[in-house]
Amino acid sequence: MVRHPAGDLARPARDGSPRWRGGVRLLRPWRFYLLAGAILAGLGCLDTVAELPELQQTPALGVVNLGASLTFILTGLLLLRERGQRGVAWALILAGTLRSLDFVDAWNTGPWPVYAVVFGAADRVFGAWALLRYPWPRLSRPQRIYLIALTSWMLTGRVMVVVTSTARSTGYSASSWWPSLLPDPGLNKLIDLILSCGEGIFAITLIAFFVMRLLETKGLDRIVIAPIMAAGLAAVVAASGTAVAQLFSSISTGPTGAYLVEGLVDVTVPLAFLVAVIQRALLARNLAELSAKIAIGADLGSVRYALRETLHDPTLEVLELPGSGSPASADGEARRRGGGPDAGVALVPAPADSRLVEVIRTDAGLPIAVVIADAALARYRGLFDAAVRTSGLALKNAQLQAQSARAELDHVRASRARIIEAGLAERRRLERDLHDGAQQHLLGLAARLTAAMAHTADPEATAAFRQARIELGEVLAKLRDLAHGIHPATLSQGGLSAALEEVAERLPLAIDLSIPPDRAAPGVEAAAYFVACEALSNAVKHANASSVTVTVRIGESRLELEIADDGIGGADPAGSGLANIVDRVSALDGETSIDSPPGSGTRILVRIPCA
Amino acid sequence: MRLAIADDSALFRNGLILLLEASGAQVTAQVSAGTELIACIQADPPDAVILDLRMPPTFTGEGISTAAQIRSRDADIGILVLSTFAETSYASQLLDAVGHGVGYLLKDNVTDADNLISQLDRIVSGETVIDPSIVRRLLQRKRRASRIDALNPRERDVLGRMAEGRSNVGIAQDLYLSPRTVEAHVTNVFAKLGLDQTDTDNNRIRAVLTFLRSAKE
Repeated sequence: MVRHPAGDLARPARDGSPRWRGGVRLLRPWRFYLLAGAILAGLGCLDTVAELPELQQTPALGVVNLGASLTFILTGLLLLRERGQRGVAWALILAGTLRSLDFVDAWNTGPWPVYAVVFGAADRVFGAWALLRYPWPRLSRPQRIYLIALTSWMLTGRVMVVVTSTARSTGYSASSWWPSLLPDPGLNKLIDLILSCGEGIFAITLIAFFVMRLLETKGLDRIVIAPIMAAGLAAVVAASGTAVAQLFSSISTGPTGAYLVEGLVDVTVPLAFLVAVIQRALLARNLAELSAKIAIGADLGSVRYALRETLHDPTLEVLELPGSGSPASADGEARRRGGGPDAGVALVPAPADSRLVEVIRTDAGLPIAVVIADAALARYRGLFDAAVRTSGLALKNAQLQAQSARAELDHVRASRARIIEAGLAERRRLERDLHDGAQQHLLGLAARLTAAMAHTADPEATAAFRQARIELGEVLAKLRDLAHGIHPATLSQGGLSAALEEVAERLPLAIDLSIPPDRAAPGVEAAAYFVACEALSNAVKHANASSVTVTVRIGESRLELEIADDGIGGADPAGSGLANIVDRVSALDGETSIDSPPGSGTRILVRIPCA
Repeated sequence: MRLAIADDSALFRNGLILLLEASGAQVTAQVSAGTELIACIQADPPDAVILDLRMPPTFTGEGISTAAQIRSRDADIGILVLSTFAETSYASQLLDAVGHGVGYLLKDNVTDADNLISQLDRIVSGETVIDPSIVRRLLQRKRRASRIDALNPRERDVLGRMAEGRSNVGIAQDLYLSPRTVEAHVTNVFAKLGLDQTDTDNNRIRAVLTFLRSAKE
């Protein structure tokens, strides 16, 4: 769905069938060039014939005139292949052809001098038309009025000049046909003066039009029309110069020098059109830059920036469509708003009428984002479409990459959770094996030793038994420490509350425990236990604390553990103890915040999700 | 003394039986799980039962739940729970569940035969016995604020001995005090812990429970 100001520039329909009105564009290239060559040759011959006497009398002027005409015609022919510029192309061809026909009066016989005087400015009308029109689809109302007024003024004025003069008075030979209806030199002079003044006003108006256009246009339009407007200005100034020079010379001979200058200046007009055509073609080069720019990181912001730069439209906007991530929501939303196949656009705040809108879709046709640009870009449809396509590809890639990164992250998280779980289970099994196996065995042995002692009265044997029992006691204590280090049995049996009470009992400082008896997942409990032990040990070893509070809150979605001491503070978060805490917690996707201002104690808050 | 034993470790059980029989006790039943113990003692009630804290099927606190069931069926039978965990939470859970005539001892410490028999005697006579190593740690432990803080050091020593199951006379001997002085300390302990002065027997258990729970406060 595209909104652009005029249908004239209709771009190809989505199905790809071209809708140009210009039949020329449908021609195969070789046929077109053959036809163009024929037209150029034909018009070239016509102009050469018209210019023949001029070429003999003032060869330089003749050559310049012919050259200017041919440049106009050639440029026009090339423009025929530009979309929507057929009118401008024909105007240039006509202007070029008529430009040399102006000098047909040099034949100095038959109706040619009269033709040259009456229609001598026709090429300028067509030139002005082309300059004002390109590359817009149509002229504005003031421009149309201007051109009609100019044409009328020129025709009327020149006819008046002709009828108030004779061939002789204008300097042409008597063999020329001249409709001298009201020969009056005084009147003729007056009319010529009025006509010239009028032309001066028209010239100034045209310059004003050019300046206004330059000021009004922006972005790509300005890049394209700036050379044309400059050439147009130069041509108008040159033509005005000629007109002034004509006032001081006879019509038939004319100011050769001024004509020569004007001819040379006029050549810049078609050249400027060529530059514009080339400029438009060169804009495609921006696409390569665009690809390079958004290849680095295709987030919405960088795509927006790249498109603005490439399309020279600072008002261009790229908006992400809500729910573009999930197909269901995007479709649902579109349906709810009662849209058709292009309803994605309806999700976007309605742009001003004169904005160009294009939706970027996934391969499955789901809208990802929408580009809203200046309507002027409709004239650079090819460039715009290509830029949007490039951005679309980049955005799609980014979306895919994000999806696969997310999937990979989920995978890593799941496997990490499994590894932690498996490690924990293994430790618990080890602890249980030690406790229920070796420890019970040794305890039974100790009981047997004691029982055996009852059966001997021998003091040496008794002493040996006693020693053995003491050593057995030491072995048992070591074994218990080992088992506890592998996994505290109290944690699996009594939960955090029991396990941390046990820890607190062994530490030489006042510990306030506020722990609910509720249970959490084994992995979460183990992590919280580890964190609490590490923090308590820090409080004893480094913080010089005299009291600590340990608070645990067990919610449905997460466990919160807070350990606050009244020690010296200033703990180093990068220190191994705190770093271990952070690692352990983040392994379960939890978060740790450590607050330890020097002199004000240390507060560690840990949140672990209970999924 | 007639005893029934439940412990899932046959090695420890056999050692314990040897030890008890050497000390003159009679073992009427030996089983490996709490449910079996309940069935055995119904048929042939012993003076006391000795059971492991951790037993099948879950290897968590079966000892405590079995003890509670036994007490609900028989108000007089002595119950001794053996454990390798020196935690006050299990001890206080046990006292909560059973009340009187109950003991919580660490397996490491039962190898002193005479001591074990005397502790069993106290349990059978309705007293409460907590392993001395647990009591010692509780007494050593610093805490922020607790009702125990109201006690002076001597009273705390007396409370500790009460928790170990000592009688007033025994405490007097341990601390080289006259029985009357110990009695005065005991009364002070009850008063400071806010316990009823008249119900002396239950007060001892409540005082010990308060003592155990002070770990949690």
